Amino acid sequence: MSAARVFGAGLAIAMTFAVAWLSRAPTDFAGDGDALIRLSWRVDGVTVEACETLSEEELAKRPIHMRNPQACIGTIAPFELVATLGGQTIVHDTIWPGGIRGDRPIYVFRDIPVIPGRSVLSVRFEAVVPEGTEVDSAVSRLTWEGEIELAPDDVALLTMDDHGAFVLRTPGPAASD
Amino acid sequence: MIRRFRAWGRIVLARLDGWFNSLYTWRYNPLYHSGALVVGCFVILLFTGLYLLLFYRIGSPYESVGNITAQWWGGRWIRGLHRYISDMAIVATVVHAARMFVQGRTWGPRALAWMSGVVLLGVFFLCGWTGYVMVWDVHGQVLATEGARIMDALPIFAGPIRRTFVGEEALPQAFFFLNLFAHILIPVGIALVLWIHVSRLARTYLMPPKPLFWTMTGLFTLVAIVWPIGMAPKADLLRLPTEVPFDIAYGFWLPFTQQMGPGWVWLAVIAAVASALLVPALMKPKAEKAPAPSWVNPRFCTGCEQCYHDCPYEAIDMIRRDDGREGFVGFVNPDKCVSCGICSGSCAPMGVGPPERTGRDQMVEVKAFMEEASLGGDDIVIIGCFHGAAGEGIREVAGAKVYQISCVGSLHTSVIEYFIRAGVGGVMIASCPPRDCWNREGVTWLEERVYNQREAELKDRVDRRRLRIVYAAEAELSVLEREVASFRSQMSALDRALSEQNIEIDVACVVPEVSVGEEIGA
Repeated sequence: MSAARVFGAGLAIAMTFAVAWLSRAPTDFAGDGDALIRLSWRVDGVTVEACETLSEEELAKRPIHMRNPQACIGTIAPFELVATLGGQTIVHDTIWPGGIRGDRPIYVFRDIPVIPGRSVLSVRFEAVVPEGTEVDSAVSRLTWEGEIELAPDDVALLTMDDHGAFVLRTPGPAASD
Repeated sequence: MIRRFRAWGRIVLARLDGWFNSLYTWRYNPLYHSGALVVGCFVILLFTGLYLLLFYRIGSPYESVGNITAQWWGGRWIRGLHRYISDMAIVATVVHAARMFVQGRTWGPRALAWMSGVVLLGVFFLCGWTGYVMVWDVHGQVLATEGARIMDALPIFAGPIRRTFVGEEALPQAFFFLNLFAHILIPVGIALVLWIHVSRLARTYLMPPKPLFWTMTGLFTLVAIVWPIGMAPKADLLRLPTEVPFDIAYGFWLPFTQQMGPGWVWLAVIAAVASALLVPALMKPKAEKAPAPSWVNPRFCTGCEQCYHDCPYEAIDMIRRDDGREGFVGFVNPDKCVSCGICSGSCAPMGVGPPERTGRDQMVEVKAFMEEASLGGDDIVIIGCFHGAAGEGIREVAGAKVYQISCVGSLHTSVIEYFIRAGVGGVMIASCPPRDCWNREGVTWLEERVYNQREAELKDRVDRRRLRIVYAAEAELSVLEREVASFRSQMSALDRALSEQNIEIDVACVVPEVSVGEEIGA
């Protein structure tokens, strides 16, 4: 067998290994050893109705079955999300309802990289409604505060249970509420 | 700039081709078979995938893949082969695309193949993405969560897809079922797009030569055995993945996209895809420089159908004559014709071909060449195709004058006859290797016409000892020089060639009112 053939065979084997290496190149995706606080929940939101009392003339223009003196348009109020960790604000944002018309539920999803360690997390999620609007405070203002301890690369998930109450999930032992 | 880049790429490719030819011969040069190797990979993926499917469980994806990997006698290496070959498919696709790009085979009638190729690459990526998510290890986790983050930028979902991967509870079986379904369904799409990809080619060869295919399969099997794929840590959505065994071929984009907002990722994707799809428009030469498509001169067409059979791009149809003569006449569809000129060589009466490259035009040219070169009985003339070792710009090789032609498949055999009857010592046809023929079947048809009596054949009266067909790629000038020396030595054993005067070339099936002699000014 000629030297070229031997070299060719060796090269073929080397190229095969090179392609196989493509499949398994170790890569560090986290890198900096941060932990993560993930805020993720869904709420139906708080509907705020803007009503207008129609005049006699306006009512007269309408068919009989549509002569309701009050014309109301309901919109879902945005929510203000504020989260602090050890007293430092890590999120301060307004969350708008989903959908082009803003009439879909409100979804919250935030991944916030934090320095690992033990700290107090405080979250407030509150509907932004016009002053004087009466809303059910059980759904319009949600809060959670508790101590969490995160190791590097841990993810602490603050979410909601089926009853609309905040619940924290961590990879290690659950943090105290 | 794009053209300069292409020219530079062509030089690199030519050198690589020459080097690989010296190692593996042109028959098994993997660079020549890059497209067919992708199909070969696809076949291996189907078979290995079917095996893996038998053991995969959507209810326990990670554990079932772990069980497969624990089968030292089967699953372990079959999974490794499946994965390694999927990477090979991407590598071969990229090589194939680069090859077509630098060779300028991307525009005009070839645009459909280019654009469907871009789609194929995208579908391959999608299939690989679902395959990695199926395992549900940390690599699958990274791909899934990053994919969801990017998808969330599209304003078409009621809620963030990322919420599926928050880690609140185990992922539902439905997710893995859908993923598995997609992983099985996408190959059907690949087959469909592949069909479109080759739809404009006649006599498509899809699989690589058996020795090459089995060598590739054997090598990757060997690597899968000696360097098996292990199990990465199981996906845990409440832990950030750190050291991930990462597939560069399918996840090369991850390190970039993780630093970018999803909107920018979409912009980058749209820019990349649009650039790829615009290549045919960008590479198309200006109208005055674009080679004109072939046309049929109905006066000379006898309706023999040979051009129809020989066209590698199915660009010629036979239609009923409307000039009062019986039978059919060839018709070239300009939208499909790449102007390869192979029909010129297939037409005995020299009635078809691109303008100025028909058999008749070649006869005029060869007469002028002979008068200018004043070749004698000891001389060798090289008929070189544009893309071989005696290509564009080469005037002489080892003392032999070069007569150039766009493709040896377009060479009319009467040109060979003319050279030999005019007293040239020997005619060497220097072609690019068959598997690298830019016009797919040029040298194949030439050999058939010279040695196997294919229509428009070289006449029996022509002394075959004075003719040699040589394959030499663009960078293989030294191969051609060796062949010239060898041919010259062979010629020296023959009697000195005799020169005929007033050469009459017989052309079959010529219509009575026009003789070839009149047309070519003989």
